[in-house]
Amino acid sequence: MGSLPRDTRDTLFLLAVIGWVVLMQIGHIPWWCTALTATVLTWRSVLTLRGQPLPGWAWRMGLLALTLGATWFSHGTLLGRDAGVTLIVVLLALKTLELRARRDAFVVFFLAFFTLLTHFFYSQSLLTAGGILIALLGLLTALVNAHMPVGRPPLAQSAGIAARMTALGAPIMLVLFLLFPRFAPLWGIPSDGMTGRSGLSNTMRVGEIASLVLNEDVAFRIRFESEPPLQRNLYFRGPVLSDFDGIEWRPLRSAFPAQMALSANLKVEGEPIRYEVTMEPNNRSWLLLLDAASEPPVLPGRSVFLTPELQWRTDGPFRELVRFKAQSHTQFRHGPEAPVLALQDLVDLPGGFNPRTLTWAQQLRQTHGAGPGAAPAIVAAVMDHLRTGGYSYTLEPGVYGRNTADEFWFDKREGFCEHIASSFVILMRALDIPARIVTGYQGGERNPVDGYWTVRQSDAHAWTEVWLQGQGWVRVDPTSAVSPGRIGSFERLRAIDGFFSSSLRNLNPTLAAQVRAAWEAVNNRWNQWVLNFTQGKQLDLLKSLGFDAPSWTDLAYVLIGVVIAVSLAGAGWTLWERQQHDPWLRLLQKGRARLSGLGLAAAPHQTPRAMAAQVRQHFGDTPFSQSVTKWLIQLEAQRYSPRASTTLATLQRDFQKIQWPKGPVI
Amino acid sequence: MPTLEATRPLQGWRPTAAVRRRVQQWFLNRLPPTDTLTLTQRNVYILPTRAGWMLALTLLVLLVGSINYQLNLGYLLTFLLAGCAVVGMHVCHANLRGLTLHLVPPLPVHAGQAVALEVRLSNDRKKTRHGIGIGVKTERRLIDAHLAWADVPAQGTETLHVAWPPPQRGLHALPALTAVTLFPLGTFRVWTVWRPHAKVLVYPSIEAAPPPLPAGEPQPGHAGTARAQSTGEFDGVRAYRRGDPQKTVVWKRAAQTFAAGRDDLVSRDTLSAQRQQLWLDHAQCGTHDLETRLSRLAAWVLIAERLELDYGLRLPGQEIAPGQGTSHKTRCLEAMALC
Repeated sequence: MGSLPRDTRDTLFLLAVIGWVVLMQIGHIPWWCTALTATVLTWRSVLTLRGQPLPGWAWRMGLLALTLGATWFSHGTLLGRDAGVTLIVVLLALKTLELRARRDAFVVFFLAFFTLLTHFFYSQSLLTAGGILIALLGLLTALVNAHMPVGRPPLAQSAGIAARMTALGAPIMLVLFLLFPRFAPLWGIPSDGMTGRSGLSNTMRVGEIASLVLNEDVAFRIRFESEPPLQRNLYFRGPVLSDFDGIEWRPLRSAFPAQMALSANLKVEGEPIRYEVTMEPNNRSWLLLLDAASEPPVLPGRSVFLTPELQWRTDGPFRELVRFKAQSHTQFRHGPEAPVLALQDLVDLPGGFNPRTLTWAQQLRQTHGAGPGAAPAIVAAVMDHLRTGGYSYTLEPGVYGRNTADEFWFDKREGFCEHIASSFVILMRALDIPARIVTGYQGGERNPVDGYWTVRQSDAHAWTEVWLQGQGWVRVDPTSAVSPGRIGSFERLRAIDGFFSSSLRNLNPTLAAQVRAAWEAVNNRWNQWVLNFTQGKQLDLLKSLGFDAPSWTDLAYVLIGVVIAVSLAGAGWTLWERQQHDPWLRLLQKGRARLSGLGLAAAPHQTPRAMAAQVRQHFGDTPFSQSVTKWLIQLEAQRYSPRASTTLATLQRDFQKIQWPKGPVI
Repeated sequence: MPTLEATRPLQGWRPTAAVRRRVQQWFLNRLPPTDTLTLTQRNVYILPTRAGWMLALTLLVLLVGSINYQLNLGYLLTFLLAGCAVVGMHVCHANLRGLTLHLVPPLPVHAGQAVALEVRLSNDRKKTRHGIGIGVKTERRLIDAHLAWADVPAQGTETLHVAWPPPQRGLHALPALTAVTLFPLGTFRVWTVWRPHAKVLVYPSIEAAPPPLPAGEPQPGHAGTARAQSTGEFDGVRAYRRGDPQKTVVWKRAAQTFAAGRDDLVSRDTLSAQRQQLWLDHAQCGTHDLETRLSRLAAWVLIAERLELDYGLRLPGQEIAPGQGTSHKTRCLEAMALC
């Protein structure tokens, strides 16, 4: 970079910044978009380095048409979020092909800002924020550099100016962030708002949760206000799946009329566990709560209701981070205690699947008897079979065919939670015992740095509930029988690590855990303070400022008040600055005024040395004359001599020490 | 006082342009003319540029995006950018505020030549002032390409030169100058308008191919005494004309002019014995138009000066006694500029 001509250097720098902006987007754009963008940016760099002319109109139009076609092919539309992101990334790259004048540089600059914003659709983590900050500084550096028209200013200088401006702009950002009223979305956002988010889905195909096990993303965090429950009781309830078509499990759409449908019928015992949940956006409308939550959690602006399947749901999906308080009891009973007609839904099995399981159910029925009374014994026997029958827990059970339960029970004898839960429920239903699958999260990890519990996507789990007469729904986790370590301890299957973290773990497992814990804690703070800064928090802030019942108009008033106060302070400073002069000149003026008081009128243009000569001439060689002369000479030296050692402050003090005679001396 | 606006040819009367011109004229007239101007809050102006408006639009779109997708990080980005823009506005204003502009009074020029206006920028701040442009204020929007740019070092000075074509012969007030900065973001234009106090004298243009110097006139009265001494070796001399005998050519002078790269020859005036005197008289220039005559006279003055001849100048209503030397030449040219 050092020896390149200025124009070349500036263009290459801007291309590098654009490259960085696009690089952060790579995970969210189609592969062809990455390839095209990289090619265009490289091409432009080569043209710059060789000093060759930019490609003509036809090239740009051709590439644009190609992009539009490819976007249509990839996304099926040119509108919407993902297609829009793809298009803007390519447009940003293509615009560099006509980057000639300053106006074009501005267009690139503004396009880059839109691209920066699109990053937040996918991630708002601390890491993203850091990447965006680098990109912002890079763009500002390029802009500052473009406005230094003289010579070849070093880029570091521009970067320094940009960094200083950003640092000075940060307080403005903070005030606006704290006080700018948060509005509801101005218009409906496209439905693809959350595609690509991992998390539990409301259908389950055997083998699907495996993809989540490898996902270390945080699902939610919990801060327990009291003693946390035992690890084995940490079941966080998600969607309940009761309808099976042979391949896929779905939530139940009961054919029974409303008054006959099952009710939650929850009875709790013991002291509640109080806690606070910070839930990552998951685009689902259920709350992930510890089984079983007795009181509806309070979410501002949303209504929360309890389904018959004991899930707490709201009226809309969570597209942003939410935080709420909840309370749960780990000791509870729910569901009807006596048989009701609606339980028929929960023994339904599609015909023509899993014949061997059905045969085995017949044998079990013969051994343990039939009817509601035999159900606990059958459940115990099957759990025992799972423990002793050579079943193993694996994340790579291979591909299952059509009869998943048959394959699990008799052929493969290995799988993970959803194979086990699904096969277990199928078997129970074959025995006419009402059973269903509950999905959610099990376990969690306490962060020793800040005490928050983190539940990750890799903690996703599927267990079952079996209906027993007189007891209602009883949680049965068949996975715990196969793999006791899976439930109730930290022994979870580890995700495949990145190179860095795995090598760190090999070197020093404790350090790796500590680094991870510290990072999680910082990230959690970020979530709590930045991402979760909602209107509610703003209003809390106003309350602490003394507003009784703040509303968003109060926020606006406070914001306007701050702006006015800052403007007045600025105006005051300007007035003050206008009166301020050079402190050296003020000191000289003071001396001059003192001398003119003694009848020695010095002209404004006279130098201190000339004034000293005047003093010596007027007062002769008196001690007063000597001290004034010395002071004046020092004053001159302070300003003009490169080796002056006196400071203005000393001169100020010396001035006070001079013994000025009283009244004019003539 | 002649100004740029007054001498501009009329291009059809457009009401808005006329109003605008009047407003600008009024604005300029109320500026006190000065050669040294220190920029303060009072005389520095600031407005957003087109790019600044575009940034405002971008911020608006970013804000709407953040609201619509409920992106707290989007709010942060938007507000940080807005904060940078506000800081940029202050930096831009401070970049010009406090600067001292000093115009070095320009040297006279001949009509048709550009005046080089030399502006010294002095900065007593402890930071460099980047990207300061100086230009002649025009009636229409100023284009940045017409500006001369400089970085003024911390507690130092920098000199910029701006060319300005003066309208015609005469003594002219200098045009209003403007100092502009777009630094650091180009989103705001900060400028000042400044009317210098100095004036520029514009001599008549120099005729490209003037006829030879006119013949000398007999000196009135008896053969002069003091004059004969002061002219040195030759009493009467004139530019070489075709047909002059070689012996009349002043070869010594010719050697000097050849050495200087010219090929003017000078002949001894055959009438030198009569003590002839070179008078450059506007009435004897042969044309009727005053400007053409003056430019011929100007050319003659320069030739006579180069030949180190004594020459006098007669203009309508005034007469400058013969003389020689730079001050004499300047006096003659000034007289011609102002007649």
